[in-house]
Amino acid sequence: MDLKLATIDLGLIAPEIIIAAVAMLILLLGNVVRRRTILAYFGLFGLVAALLTALPRWGNPASGFYGMVQADNFAIFFKIIFIIAAGLTILMARRYLISHEIESPEFYALLLFSAVGMMVMAATSDLVVIFLGLEIMSVPLYVMAAFARHDVSSNEAGIKYFIMGAFASGILIYGIALVYGATGTTDLRRILADWGFFEMHSQLFLYSGAILVLIGFGFKVAAVPFHMWVPDVYQGAPTPVTAFFSVAPKAAGFAALLRIFTYGFADMSQLWAILWILAVLTMTVGNILAIFQDNIKRMLAYSSIAHAGYILVALTAGGDGAVSSAAYYLLAYTFFNLGAFAVITLIDTRNSSTAQIDEMQGLSGRHPFLAAVLALFMFALAGFPPTAGFMGKFYIFSEAIKNGYIGLAIIGVMNSFVSVYYYLRVVVVSFFARPNKEFEAVSYTPAIFIVLVITAAGTLILGILPGYWLSLARAGIFQFL
Amino acid sequence: MELIIFYLAAVVAVGGGLMMIMQRNPVASVLYLIVTLVAIAVMFVQLNAVFVGALLIIVYAGAILVLFLFVIMLLNLRGEKFAEKRTRLDRPTRIILAVAFILELLAMFKQVAFPGRMDELMVQASPDFGGARPVAELLYTKYLFPFELTSILLLVAIVGAVVMARRDEKDKKRGI
Amino acid sequence: MSYYLLLIPLFPLLGFLINGLLLGKLNKKIVSIVACGAVGLSFLWGLKLFFNLLALPADSRIIEEIAFTWIPSGEFNVNVGFLFDPLSAVMVLVVSGVGFLIHLYSIGYMHDDSGYGRYFTYLNLFIFSMLTLVLANNYLLMFVGWEGVGLCSYLLIGFWFEKQTAADAGKKAFIVNRIGDFGFLLGLFIIFWSTGSLNFITVFDKAPQVFAMGAGLITAATLLLFLGATGKSAQIPLYVWLPDAMEGPTPVSALIHAATMVTAGVYMIARSHVLFLMAPTTLMVVAIVGVATALFAATIALTQNDIKRVLAYSTISQLGYMFVACGVAAFSAGIFHLMTHAFFKALLFLGAGSVIHSLSGQQDMRFMGGLKRHMPTTFWTFLVATLAIAGIPGLSGFFSKDEILWKSFSSDYGSIWIWAIGLFTAMLTAFYMFRLLFLTFYGGERMDHHAKEHLHESPKIMTVPLTILGVLAIVGGYIGIPHILGGGNNFEKFLEPVMGNVQHGGEEAMVMASSGQNGGTELMLMGISVVLILASIYLAYVLYVKNIALAGKIRQSLSGLHKILYGKYYVDELYGAVIIRPLIGLSLFLWKIVDVILIDGLLNGLATIIGDISKIMRPVQSGLLRRYTTVFLLGVVLILGYFVFR
Repeated sequence: MDLKLATIDLGLIAPEIIIAAVAMLILLLGNVVRRRTILAYFGLFGLVAALLTALPRWGNPASGFYGMVQADNFAIFFKIIFIIAAGLTILMARRYLISHEIESPEFYALLLFSAVGMMVMAATSDLVVIFLGLEIMSVPLYVMAAFARHDVSSNEAGIKYFIMGAFASGILIYGIALVYGATGTTDLRRILADWGFFEMHSQLFLYSGAILVLIGFGFKVAAVPFHMWVPDVYQGAPTPVTAFFSVAPKAAGFAALLRIFTYGFADMSQLWAILWILAVLTMTVGNILAIFQDNIKRMLAYSSIAHAGYILVALTAGGDGAVSSAAYYLLAYTFFNLGAFAVITLIDTRNSSTAQIDEMQGLSGRHPFLAAVLALFMFALAGFPPTAGFMGKFYIFSEAIKNGYIGLAIIGVMNSFVSVYYYLRVVVVSFFARPNKEFEAVSYTPAIFIVLVITAAGTLILGILPGYWLSLARAGIFQFL
Repeated sequence: MELIIFYLAAVVAVGGGLMMIMQRNPVASVLYLIVTLVAIAVMFVQLNAVFVGALLIIVYAGAILVLFLFVIMLLNLRGEKFAEKRTRLDRPTRIILAVAFILELLAMFKQVAFPGRMDELMVQASPDFGGARPVAELLYTKYLFPFELTSILLLVAIVGAVVMARRDEKDKKRGI
Repeated sequence: MSYYLLLIPLFPLLGFLINGLLLGKLNKKIVSIVACGAVGLSFLWGLKLFFNLLALPADSRIIEEIAFTWIPSGEFNVNVGFLFDPLSAVMVLVVSGVGFLIHLYSIGYMHDDSGYGRYFTYLNLFIFSMLTLVLANNYLLMFVGWEGVGLCSYLLIGFWFEKQTAADAGKKAFIVNRIGDFGFLLGLFIIFWSTGSLNFITVFDKAPQVFAMGAGLITAATLLLFLGATGKSAQIPLYVWLPDAMEGPTPVSALIHAATMVTAGVYMIARSHVLFLMAPTTLMVVAIVGVATALFAATIALTQNDIKRVLAYSTISQLGYMFVACGVAAFSAGIFHLMTHAFFKALLFLGAGSVIHSLSGQQDMRFMGGLKRHMPTTFWTFLVATLAIAGIPGLSGFFSKDEILWKSFSSDYGSIWIWAIGLFTAMLTAFYMFRLLFLTFYGGERMDHHAKEHLHESPKIMTVPLTILGVLAIVGGYIGIPHILGGGNNFEKFLEPVMGNVQHGGEEAMVMASSGQNGGTELMLMGISVVLILASIYLAYVLYVKNIALAGKIRQSLSGLHKILYGKYYVDELYGAVIIRPLIGLSLFLWKIVDVILIDGLLNGLATIIGDISKIMRPVQSGLLRRYTTVFLLGVVLILGYFVFR
């Protein structure tokens, strides 16, 4: 009996390998190298190296490991997002971790492992691998949420996220099992190939599985009603971790959702009604509840729910254009949401801080640059031109209209106008409120300054010159698999 | 006869699972989990997948769960009283929802006519399906990538557990 | 041949960047040179291009230049491109010209303000956005400029944010404008959806093929665009922000809230006239809203005591006229009035600013009076502007206002009622403007002793712009003298390549008018209006100069009416009661009922919720993990149930 060994093409998974290796090295060197700066920058180095190995694959989609790995443009596009998010998080986290006396090498290692999990999720068409990627992504996140171990709310965040996450994983794996039961495979390509057959013979089975899969990812991307964990976790977790939470796992969840539901289950038309309702609920609940929040992290938590809703609009609309609009939006969102959190991290480094919106009083007087970029990020979140936020929303809603979802687009536009109210509040407080007391100064580090510059530049460039990035997002979709 | 053993094993597996989550004492929970796993192993054996059944018992029941017990006893975890804040409606709501969920699943299974494709697959399965060789073969060919990913997952979980359980300067000062 | 249209908005952008990035590091002199120079260069470049445009034959007076491709993906293709045609040429010259004068004026006005650099930074950003708005060759770029001017307006209204009222007014303007923008954006979506483009030329070319005349879709699209216009141009029902916007520095009120930004809505409608002409229903709505706003705001202006508020309501009223012009399909008349209004209203505001400056911040006309002697330049220029807005023959306002009145009477879309209300409003305008003039510059000096000593004419840097604007307020109308008075109506002819091809109704009427058939009517109407306006000026003179006691008596005998007018018809209060409170109620309802009661309360028991209000006020989420999972499971059960039991 001849045993066909797997064709091992390590080049396909080089970025993942590099990051995982760097993460392990950080763990090993953690007790040898006393200067943690070196470890942090070593982590950054790993990310950059991974980026450099990922980019040359652009335009040469390849599949390997018996189809378990798909190194296509879509995967590379999302890998870029994850690398940007992880890199900026490392840069902004150090100062915060030190000031809260919780810095340790494991933080960087966990962050990198989490990024590896996300990359795996985006670069496969097999449900089992997607699930494994999801777990590799999530386990470090649970720990990172509770990383401030002496802080009760951080612990609470970790536990809550862990238990809810385990619950959602259970639903997800059950869904995958049902899909396997209905089709006899977990490979999306095979499911797509024999779609007609499965739909005829095991429709309900397949659909129920798909729904549970949708719910499992709905939890990760914080879709209503699976969003209840978000505010508590966002508020309790250390601020840089929250920053990472708000962009990277969301992007990873959507990468998986987009691949599963616009590729594998592309013809599942009956799901649209569900997606429609989920999108509307997510946008509306997120925006309305955000209005009432006084804590800025909590406010941004609800805002991130609302943004998940906008991207769900794209998922509902379906089609190449809509998928690329979602990908573009996620890239843009990574910049401006991380940027907003970078400012909050900086303000939150002060020990007295509890991240209330009112703490921003007098910010513009003390730190005009900080106030200006914060305003920029808020305007981007609210979707004002010429920021990336406007371009992304416009793209998503026009795709929705093009595909006939006019009602959905109108609800989306209305929602984004509601959201202006609470984003504006931050701007008003930081610019226009009379400070009760002198604004307590914050100290920049070069690293966080770099983060602010990169995110602000990204927010503006993606808005003013979106052409290149849009074409990237489009190219990413047209060569799907 | 086979059918009787199957149903017996099924009832034990489900019952063990239920008991596991309803126990307040973690040690008892772990023991019920072993019961469940053994029952599932029985089913594997019935399916001719003797090797998988054996793996399940050796790896899970033998190694991992012993480790579980070890940790639980070391940390001296008892059935802890969780501070609860609930009202009369809490529990009934949950029970209703759980029942509804189960009913939905049952309704779904009932409607499903298992497709012909499944029979094809079963016929195709080789006689030593679930034996050591096919498992090994799959593990080193088709499932190589997921297999390696699992090792990373385990590593991450260990690191996470260590981070959460480690004492640092602050703990030492507090004398924990 | 390349015209480098890009340069026009580029100069202010550079000014903005230089002053903004070096905020606080430059001394005031350099800041003002950079800021004014940037706008001045824009104006000069605009002027040069204007003459280039004139040199072209009338039919080909349209220059489109693409700066770069903005969104280049398949069918969704938008450029950053600029369109220079007679319409945008007029707008560019008005915006950069008036803008430049106001920049100069601001040097004097803001001289002692601590936010000097910040002020000019915002102002340059505003000019940049406004020029982008008027030069854009597509709706999306126009929307970018549209939002940009909104942002600057918000920043400048709240410029003195130490004042709570200023910060609140900024917020109000911002949020009210959101409603309008919402309409605008939805209108854009419909246009894009039906024509597949947002480029003006393409859209207008395709419009006759995609839309049926007067069909529901085009009516909806234009109504949504008009909703956007009502927000920016302060028309009923979204005008409420403009009076409050007077909290900003006075030159800002002159530039943004009188001369330029608020006319963006008029410009947008004139630009989209092809679409609006296909939707007669919308045109009717535009005309009615315009004339109603004109009348409504004019009546409020009769009773206000704050000099800037009178001018604010007057602006709303004059904008109403411009919308009337658009509504009766006399778009070039609307733009003509937009231009003359920019001159005289900027002048009025700057004059008012000069007065306020001299009185160290006093804005209440009851504490002014007799300033004629102290501030001769301000007075004379102010008088010119007042005569112009009142519509005295020979000044710019007369020609443009009369053009609108005539068109509202003669156009196919017009009616005698619109004309009559417009005429009545013109009388009111003359009355309240002269009331303002008399109260401010005539009579006894009612300010307190301290202020009296400080009375002084403003410095040259402020009076020179006043004088220039004064000249413009007189001669600005001569480019549009109607045929009936022996002129050539050059302005309308100039705009003809843009508007002409569609303006058959007006055109024929005009030809008829010049050939004498309707000429008698036009002259007669003109005569009526002049006589009535003169009469109401005389009335104002009697009431506020000769016999002041009489004014008080009248006010007392009509105290009920006065109270309503003085209270601005209580619209703010009405909105508060009818819209804002229910909205807050609704969101509270959603928050309390849906989230707390349905999710939490269902589990918690209604009794405890209702009994404990403080519990309602605590964070929405209970924080209990098991409830979160319950909600999660509920979602699962509902979604799965939908499929299984379908």
